[in-house]
Amino acid sequence: MVVRQYQQELEYLEKISSYCWRIKKGFQPNMRVEGVFYVNQTLEKLMLDELRNACRPGMVGGFLPGVKQIANVAALPGIVGKSVGLPDVHSGYGFAIGNMAAFDVNDPESIVSPGGVGFDINCGVRLLRTNLYESDVLPVKEQLAQSLFDHIPVGVGSKGIIPMNARDLEEALEMGMDWSLREGYIWAEDKEHCEEYGRMLNADPAKVSMRAKKRGLPQVIFFSKKSFYCPFLFHGIKVYIYELDEIYDKWAACKMGIEEKGQICVMIHSGSRGFGHQVATDALVQMEKAMKRDNIETNDRQLACARISSVEGQDYLKSMAAAANFAWVNRSSMTFLSRQAFAKQFNMAPDDLDMHVIYDVSHNIAKVEEHLVDGKPKTLLVHRKGSTRAFPPHHPLIPVDYQLTGQPVLIGGTMGTCSYVLTGTEQGMFETFGSTCHGAGRALSRAKSRRNIDYTDVLQKLEYMGISIRVASPKLVMEEAPESYKNVTDVVNTCHAAGISKKCIKLRPIAVIKG
Amino acid sequence: MGDQEQFTEEELKLPSCKYEYLDHTADVQLHAWGNSLKEAFEQCGIAMFGYMTELHTVEIKQSSEIEATGHDLESLLFHFLDELLFLFSCEPFLICSKVTITDFNTEGEEMSLKCKCYGEEFTLGKHPQGTEVKAITYSAMQIVNDPETKKFEVFVIIDI
Repeated sequence: MVVRQYQQELEYLEKISSYCWRIKKGFQPNMRVEGVFYVNQTLEKLMLDELRNACRPGMVGGFLPGVKQIANVAALPGIVGKSVGLPDVHSGYGFAIGNMAAFDVNDPESIVSPGGVGFDINCGVRLLRTNLYESDVLPVKEQLAQSLFDHIPVGVGSKGIIPMNARDLEEALEMGMDWSLREGYIWAEDKEHCEEYGRMLNADPAKVSMRAKKRGLPQVIFFSKKSFYCPFLFHGIKVYIYELDEIYDKWAACKMGIEEKGQICVMIHSGSRGFGHQVATDALVQMEKAMKRDNIETNDRQLACARISSVEGQDYLKSMAAAANFAWVNRSSMTFLSRQAFAKQFNMAPDDLDMHVIYDVSHNIAKVEEHLVDGKPKTLLVHRKGSTRAFPPHHPLIPVDYQLTGQPVLIGGTMGTCSYVLTGTEQGMFETFGSTCHGAGRALSRAKSRRNIDYTDVLQKLEYMGISIRVASPKLVMEEAPESYKNVTDVVNTCHAAGISKKCIKLRPIAVIKG
Repeated sequence: MGDQEQFTEEELKLPSCKYEYLDHTADVQLHAWGNSLKEAFEQCGIAMFGYMTELHTVEIKQSSEIEATGHDLESLLFHFLDELLFLFSCEPFLICSKVTITDFNTEGEEMSLKCKCYGEEFTLGKHPQGTEVKAITYSAMQIVNDPETKKFEVFVIIDI
């Protein structure tokens, strides 16, 4: 790594507008394209502080700051356009989190990198609407939160309640939400409002290691007959109940079935968890060998990658797709359980509660898409890590219902803060390959949150704000406390002001369930 | 459990704590050290388990053996931790309060180790739920292996 003083480093960065910075070539070795990142004044400070800290002399076990990571990605073979940092960008492993990059599929040098997808493959957010209003929910809020908590098993070591055996798992990996539909967990129209209709067609369960499958479905058939329930399916999940707080774009909100302030929505946040992690870890190991063979050099070991056309690259894409399908089944199962919990509480069918899926977005994924590069159509492999697809109106890949508004983009906040729904824009398509932010993005590390924040304070504060909370472990409260994150409003406003997506509605949390 | 394993005094004795958790914006970094590289590796393994639960609640009731290989020290450490994580993530769902590396070969191209892991099955209610460790990373991984100054340290970022 190049060692320079902070002031020298700054010479490679240039502010090109109030919301956008350019990273010039040379900031990291071998950069093939430039980098760019979107920040406002507040976020800019966090970003530069991260860099300044890394420049302090004598940093043992030092971390690569986000800007450096964006630049490292710009050095990967086959990258086109720019390596883009979105407003919630922060240091990750390999790619920064909130980093997107596109690679030309027809360039034989181009690579696919598991580090550009992240470990929690297809971690994402789903938003359900209801026809309930604040006044319906407030009197039974505690009961409802408890009921959701009881329905959805959460936390380390908890076992799921959707019955599943090894064959089911194979089928689920191949079919994604088609499996959930066949088994009766979801409604047919749910699929319509998911990216890829909840199923990546190139998924091949045969490419997924036994090890990963065991992590996806421990204890079943492989080892014992102790349990026929899929454990560990519901780790690290979050379910929020929201009340509609503000509408910025009434017309687009109407298309989503959102009408008035106070309307209740449910947000589900989860991914492929241990399963996806094992897929990523397995791929990293395979790719290390492939890199040696094909003489691919990267600036960071965690950026292990393989040529898209190579066996390793293709195998990864197929197993990643299987993990993505797993994640959709996961979110679908939680949708099912949430609908059940609401139905019981209000003694009405989920249908009558109008509990439709507004949309479902993926945060950690790589997809083959068509984009215009320098005015010419190109087939690209777009890596989005901690970044959401945000396609503009009239794009062929978004559902009929949103053809005129642009794709809904769901931005989850943290426990105590708001969430937003944005829509995709033409400018975003042009500047960031149709990508935008994914959430608040961490500001404090989890370890630091644990040390500095007292969980009783956090709970009190949430209570004061009128938010019911159920968590598997108090430690989780500290890690996910609002103070640990960047301000989601800053992040969303930056996206809006930079024009890469457009604000539609704002949601305020009234209950949080977290495992 | 049926056939309870028997352990010697020596096996039941817990090592002293030679690890700490450092900050990383997304995740957490394990920093472990020891009087030998082997000890630093062992400590790093314990540090990972310590993030998943309170280790003082873990009794030594059963053990498992794992093996790991690597083509350099970094990949050996990576695979070692990955194997430990795998022990926890599915059958036997083992949470360990002690790991002892019995065979530690770091010469040449093909490095390998064998390790005995002591603990018990993770049980809700008995073991407080800490944070789930999702994966081991190579990100900013550092291994200080300096027999001359007797400095043995490892830094690993785990994804949580």
